[in-house]
Amino acid sequence: MARTNWPWTLLACVALALAPMAAWAHADPHPGGGFVAGLLHPISGLDHVVAMVAVGLWGAVLDPPALWVLPVAFPMVMAFGGLLGLLGIPIPGVEIGIAASGLVMGLMVLFELKPPLWLAALIVAAFAVFHGHAHGAELPAGSNALLYSLAFVIATGLLHLLGILLGETRRWPGGRRFVQGAVGVVALIGLLFLEQALR
Amino acid sequence: MIAPFAHLYATGFGPWADGMARLFLEPTELLLVIGLVLLALQAGKTCCDRLPVLLPVAWSLGALIGLTLPSELLLALPCTALLGMVGLLVALDVRLRPVLLLPLAAALALLFALVAGSALAGHPGALAALLGETVAMAVVSTLLCQSLAPPHPRWRALGLRVGGSWITAAALLMLGWLVRHPQ
Repeated sequence: MARTNWPWTLLACVALALAPMAAWAHADPHPGGGFVAGLLHPISGLDHVVAMVAVGLWGAVLDPPALWVLPVAFPMVMAFGGLLGLLGIPIPGVEIGIAASGLVMGLMVLFELKPPLWLAALIVAAFAVFHGHAHGAELPAGSNALLYSLAFVIATGLLHLLGILLGETRRWPGGRRFVQGAVGVVALIGLLFLEQALR
Repeated sequence: MIAPFAHLYATGFGPWADGMARLFLEPTELLLVIGLVLLALQAGKTCCDRLPVLLPVAWSLGALIGLTLPSELLLALPCTALLGMVGLLVALDVRLRPVLLLPLAAALALLFALVAGSALAGHPGALAALLGETVAMAVVSTLLCQSLAPPHPRWRALGLRVGGSWITAAALLMLGWLVRHPQ
C-alpha cells in the first residue's frame, strides 16, 4: 500500500492555493478580474450564499448517493448556466428562480423531504442554471478570467461544503433542531428575496 | 493564456526562476498539470509512476518546437475546451487505461507547450524560462502523483472527482468568456 506523505501534500496544497493570489497581484491590473475577486463574488450576494448552503444541507439530509453526486455535478451545471449567460442566451425569470431556490431547498430540508435522486438532481440542476446564468452574465472583462472562474467555482464548492458540514451536525444530540433552525432562516431569507423579485 | 502568455513574471532571480514561477502564475498550464495528475491518480499506479516522467519530456519537446515558430499560436479556445474535457473525464471517474491515458497526456502537454513556446519566442531568456517551467512541472506532478498515489479512500476518490468538476466548470466559464471577448 502506498505511503501517504501528508506534510508534502499539505505544502503542495498551500503553495497551489497561494500561487493564484500572486498571479492576481502581478498579472492583472484590472480590479474585477482575478482570483480574489472570483473568490469574493459568490459570498457578496446573500441570495447566492443561502442557496448554496441549502444545497449542501439538502445533500446531507438526502444521504448518499446524493451527498456525493451533488458536489460533483453542481459546479458543472452551474457553469453551463454561466456559459449561457456569457453567450447572451436569455433565460426567463432568473431572479425569481434564484430567490425561489433558497426558499424551496430550505423547505425541503426543514421538512426532511427525500424525493427520488433524479427529481432532487433535477430541482438542484434547474436552480444551478439560474445561479450560473446570473453570475456568468456578470463575469468581468480582464486578463485573468480563468482564475476568476476557478475561484468563483471553488467558493461555491466551499459554500456547499459548509452546508454539508452543517447538515452532518444532525448526528449530534440537538443537531436536528439546530439544522431545522438554520434552514428556517434560509427559507425566510429566500422568501424575502422572492418577494423582492416578484415586485 | 491570454495576456499573461505574452510575458514572463519577473521574480528577480533570472529567467530560470521566472519560468518556474510561470507554472504557478499561469492558470491554464497549472490546471492542465493538475487535471492530468488527477486523471492518472484515478487510472492507477502505472500511470502515476509514468506521468511525472512523460509530462516534462512532452512539455519540453513542445516548448522547443514552439520557440521555432514564426508567430504566436492563438489557440485559447481549443486549449480551454480540452482542459474542460480533461476535467470532465476526472469528474465522471473515467478510468482510462495507461495505453490511452499516457498518449493523451503527452499530446495535450505537447499542444499546450507549443502555444507557450510560440508565445515566448523572441523573449530574452525564453529557453531557460521554459526549461525552468519544465522542472517545476516535473516537481509538481511527482509530488502530487507520489503523495496521493492509489489506493484511494472513499473521501479522497470523491475529492478527486470534485477537483475535476471544478476544472470543467472553470473551463466552461472561460469558454463563454472567450466567445464574449475574442482575442
